[in-house]
Amino acid sequence: MDQSHPGGVSVTAPPSTLEKMVIEADGLSRSFGQTRAAEKVSFKVKRGEILGFLGPNGAGKSTTLRMITGLLAPDEGTAKICGIDIASDPIAAKMKFGYLPESVPLYDEMEVIEYLRFVGTARGLVGSDLAKGIERISHRLGLKAMLRRRCGTLSKGFRQRVGLAQALIHEPEVVILDEPTNGLDPRQIIEVRDLIRELAKECAVIFSTHILQEIAAICSRIIVIHSGRLIADGTPEELAGEYREGWQVVVEGSGVAPQRCGELQLAEGIPGSPGETVHQWLGDSIPDLQHLQKRLQESGSPLVQVGVGRESLEQVYLRLTGGEELQR
Amino acid sequence: MNNILTVARRECGAYFGTPIAWIFIALQIAILSFFFFLYSPFFIIESADMRVWFGLTPFTMMVFAPAVTMRLWSEELRTGSTEVLLSLPVPVKDLVIGKWLASVVVLLASVVCSLGIPATISWMSASPVDWGPIMGGYIGTVLAGMMFLALGCWVSALSQNQVVSLLVGVTAGIVLVLALSPDFAAFLTSTSEPLARTVEALGVQSHFRSIERGVLAISDVVYFLSGSCLFLALTVFQVELKKQ
Repeated sequence: MDQSHPGGVSVTAPPSTLEKMVIEADGLSRSFGQTRAAEKVSFKVKRGEILGFLGPNGAGKSTTLRMITGLLAPDEGTAKICGIDIASDPIAAKMKFGYLPESVPLYDEMEVIEYLRFVGTARGLVGSDLAKGIERISHRLGLKAMLRRRCGTLSKGFRQRVGLAQALIHEPEVVILDEPTNGLDPRQIIEVRDLIRELAKECAVIFSTHILQEIAAICSRIIVIHSGRLIADGTPEELAGEYREGWQVVVEGSGVAPQRCGELQLAEGIPGSPGETVHQWLGDSIPDLQHLQKRLQESGSPLVQVGVGRESLEQVYLRLTGGEELQR
Repeated sequence: MNNILTVARRECGAYFGTPIAWIFIALQIAILSFFFFLYSPFFIIESADMRVWFGLTPFTMMVFAPAVTMRLWSEELRTGSTEVLLSLPVPVKDLVIGKWLASVVVLLASVVCSLGIPATISWMSASPVDWGPIMGGYIGTVLAGMMFLALGCWVSALSQNQVVSLLVGVTAGIVLVLALSPDFAAFLTSTSEPLARTVEALGVQSHFRSIERGVLAISDVVYFLSGSCLFLALTVFQVELKKQ
């Protein structure tokens, strides 16, 4: 079933609406003064999915996640977690998810075990369930040696793990992570990605990022948000492969003032600095290579590569979020 | 109730696991003791009462209560830990009451630590100690403290800057203790009798004065408890407002 989003590209909805939807966002809108941070954002997530929320900084990712978690009231629209409306029954809905905010705020004066006890108890775990929850999550996240350390003394990587532990201690059906790999080193990033893949076997994971490789590496579905609007929704393959196919050239930047490269629509020239390559999309029209070569030589920008291909995920993302305009 | 105790336990850990609470308690008792032994007629007439002590209490409370509560919400708002706190399946009112309760525990600890003063009076005084007014004074201290702490909670939820919270809290305390004082009410009597009565009724001092004498009137208890409820409700409203 295809849907279309305002100003966006075709969208592939989840294959079966009969499967249990654990997140249902319907027309979420939110403004801050004159700024429209989210505008009629609608999507659904089912159990087992890893949904990547992609968008440039300030696109409205965190605002949307905060509305879903009940931290921010939408101007319009509703959000349901496991069928429970977050606005009408916030406590029941909050039992269903674990949330890691972008800044990973911990109580620095508390020991890790005290912090996990506090969050676990607040999430309804008591007695042996709480002890088992702490044991399970600290083992899973490699926190056992850190349980008696104060949160304020932890490294960035361990703080992130403690943040994840608080979100997962009660084995939620939905895990919402806002930029979970922010500030981590490559090894820690890989560990977090592995954890997210593992989590998706038991629950739905929704996480936001502005890092494209992260999305491509682990997501089963991607939502692109730009200027508060949902502009694309599909699998990485759908986004990378289905949108545009045609001629592409790779040109080395000249670093000189832009010049027109004729009827080939090779933009306003190649504004990249010398040595930097710039991908140019030519679309369906077969380029006159001799003419192109000549014009490029005149502008001092060597042609590096030319051929037929598909847009990469990166190109799709740039196009969707306005990056293509920069290349023209 | 479990939620409230969970939050209160965490906050108590933050108070007593660090020097914060102990510093506040020591400072408050030191300042009160200094003025008590300086101005009390105790050493002159060996009067075995604590009227001077309890008379000073509202003045120390208007500074120490916001100092104790300034971190409760401001710190959470500054570090962003409200994001996790408000994502927990705990009603906002439970969070507010739990945090306030922890500050009341600091107040109670302060009261317990100050029990050395009546013990000292009892030991040193030639005349027998009248424990009734002292008991009443302590109950009044706790009641007034609860209201000042609730006021501090509300002010703390207004800003993510602890210094701002402290200054606004102290200013609000000054209004309650000094601006709405019986002296000011007496000054207003010539201008407007109803206004003077209102000022006196709203101020802390007029309600604390009878307690200071050891008289615990129902109207005074109602004043302090309803004041606490009002400021706690305002805190809940303020925290909920963060979602808007």
